[in-house]
Amino acid sequence: MGALRAIEEANADPALGLTLVPVERDPAGEADAYAPLCAEILTSGARHVVGCVTSWSRKEVIPTLERMGGILWYPCPYEGFEASSQVVYTHACPNQHLVPLLRWAFPRFGRRGVLTGSNYIWGWEMNRVARDLINEAGGEVLAERYLALGDTDVDRMVAEIRATRPDFVLNNLVGVSSYAFLGAMARLGCEDPAYGPERCPILSCNLTECELPALGEAAEGLVSAGPYFRDGAGAGSSFEAAAHAAVMFLARRLARQPEAQLDRLLAMAGEGLAIDPATHHATLPVLIAQVESGAFRLRQRSEAVPPDPYLARRDRFAITRPSLAVVAP
Amino acid sequence: MRRLRVPDLGGAQAVILHRPHPTVQALVRQLSAIGLQAESHWPDLPSSALGADFIFFDVDMGHDEQFPWKPGQAPMPMIALIGSETPGRVEWALGMGADAQILKPVGDSGVYSALLIARAGFEARKALASEIDGLRARLAERQTVIRAVTILSVGQDDEAAYAELRRLAMSWRVTIEEAAARVVANGEAGRVRRRPS
Repeated sequence: MGALRAIEEANADPALGLTLVPVERDPAGEADAYAPLCAEILTSGARHVVGCVTSWSRKEVIPTLERMGGILWYPCPYEGFEASSQVVYTHACPNQHLVPLLRWAFPRFGRRGVLTGSNYIWGWEMNRVARDLINEAGGEVLAERYLALGDTDVDRMVAEIRATRPDFVLNNLVGVSSYAFLGAMARLGCEDPAYGPERCPILSCNLTECELPALGEAAEGLVSAGPYFRDGAGAGSSFEAAAHAAVMFLARRLARQPEAQLDRLLAMAGEGLAIDPATHHATLPVLIAQVESGAFRLRQRSEAVPPDPYLARRDRFAITRPSLAVVAP
Repeated sequence: MRRLRVPDLGGAQAVILHRPHPTVQALVRQLSAIGLQAESHWPDLPSSALGADFIFFDVDMGHDEQFPWKPGQAPMPMIALIGSETPGRVEWALGMGADAQILKPVGDSGVYSALLIARAGFEARKALASEIDGLRARLAERQTVIRAVTILSVGQDDEAAYAELRRLAMSWRVTIEEAAARVVANGEAGRVRRRPS
C-alpha cells in the first residue's frame, strides 16, 4: 500500500519527470510461491521488487534475485544477521528495535523475562539476542517457549507465565498464534493485575497499527518498538511508511540516472532514507509506543540510530540518547 | 545444548591471504558489513598478520612458506578458501589448521557462519590442548610422586604416606605433584647432608 501510494506520488510529481510502472504478484503468504513469482516480476522487465514480510519469504527470493540481478526493497522489521548485496533493508534490525526496547523496559519493569516465539527464524533469533541482552544486564530468562506457525494452543505458555511471575514478556509469536496469546494474556491481566500491563507488559518488535483491529481490547497496554507509529495523517503503519520511503528513495534517484546500478543509487545524495552502503540497511529513528485507548501513544523517541545488523558494536546497549521522553500519565 | 558464545566481531581484524581477485572483494564486502576491518596480502603474510583475529587463506595456490608460523600453529582461527575440492588440497588446509571453510567463488554469504564456527573450533582446540598439557605434566610427575611416597613411608605404610603427601599438598595449597617435588627435594637434600656424617 505504501509502495503503490509512493508510485502514484512519484508519477504525479512533474519535478521528477519519470513514470514508475508497478508489476504486482501476490504469493498470499505461501512460502514456496515467492521465488517463482519474484522471477516472474523480474522477467517482466522490472528490476526493483518491494515486498516480503517474513524472513522465510525473504530468504526464499534471495537466490532468484542473485541469479536475475534484481533488488529487493524489504520494508519489514527482521532479526538481523544478514546483509545481502541484492536486498535493501528499509525497516529496523535488532539494534533499532529489540535492543532499545529492552533498554527501555529494564529500569521500568525489571529484568526477569519470559520469551515466546513462533517456531521459525524470527522467533528463534530474536529470543537468542534477548537472552544475551538479559544475561548481560544481570537479569534472568524464566522461560523460553515456542509454538508452531498457526498453532493457537497457548494455555501452557500462559500457565507458565502465571507460575513464574515475570517482570515482562517478550512476544515473538506471529499471526494467529500471537492473537490467541495476547487474548489469553489480556484475560489473565484482568483476573490478576500482577499480569496486567502496569506490572508485566508484553513487548514486541513487530506489532503495528495493522494488527490493532484484529486484537481489539486485547491490545491495550501492549508495548512495541519501531521506526514509525501513526500520528494523525500519514502512513497507516511502519510497514507502509518503510515501503513508501523505499519507493520515494528509488524514484528520486532513478529520475536522475535511470540506468544506475544499486551501488550508484546508494551513493547518490538526496532526500529521504539514509542507507548505509556497507550493509544496505537504513538509519532510522527508534520509537517506543504503547497501545492506549486503541491507538499507539509515544513513550520514547531516539533520532537517527545507525543500523548494526550483526550487533557487532562492542557496547550493545549504546544507542543514541532519547531526544524526547514521554512520561505516561 | 551447548550455547554458542557470540564473539564481539566489531572492529576485529581479518587478514585475507589471496591474490587480487573478485573473491577478495566479495570477502571484504561481507566482512565490512559484519563490522570487521579487512586487509589482503599476496603472496606472503607479513609478520603483522600475527596480530589478526582471523585469517582467510587460499587453498588452491597456498603453501607452507607463505605463513609467519609453522603449519598447524596459527595463533588465531583460520578459514580456508577452497576452489579445487581435491583430497590433497583439503589435506594441506587441514594441516595448516583450518577451523572452517568457504567454497569459492565467494558470493554474498558464508562469512558470518565461517567466523563463528572457526572461532568456536579454535577455542575448543586451544582449551583441549591446554588440558592435555596439564594432564601430560601430571603424568610425567608420577615418578616423583612414587619417590615422595617412598621417602614419607619411613615408619608408616604406603597408604598413610600417600595420605600425608595429600595433607602436605593441601596445607601448602599446591598440587600433589608439586608437593611431591618439594618432598623429594628436601628428602634428597637431607640424604646429601646425612651422607658425610
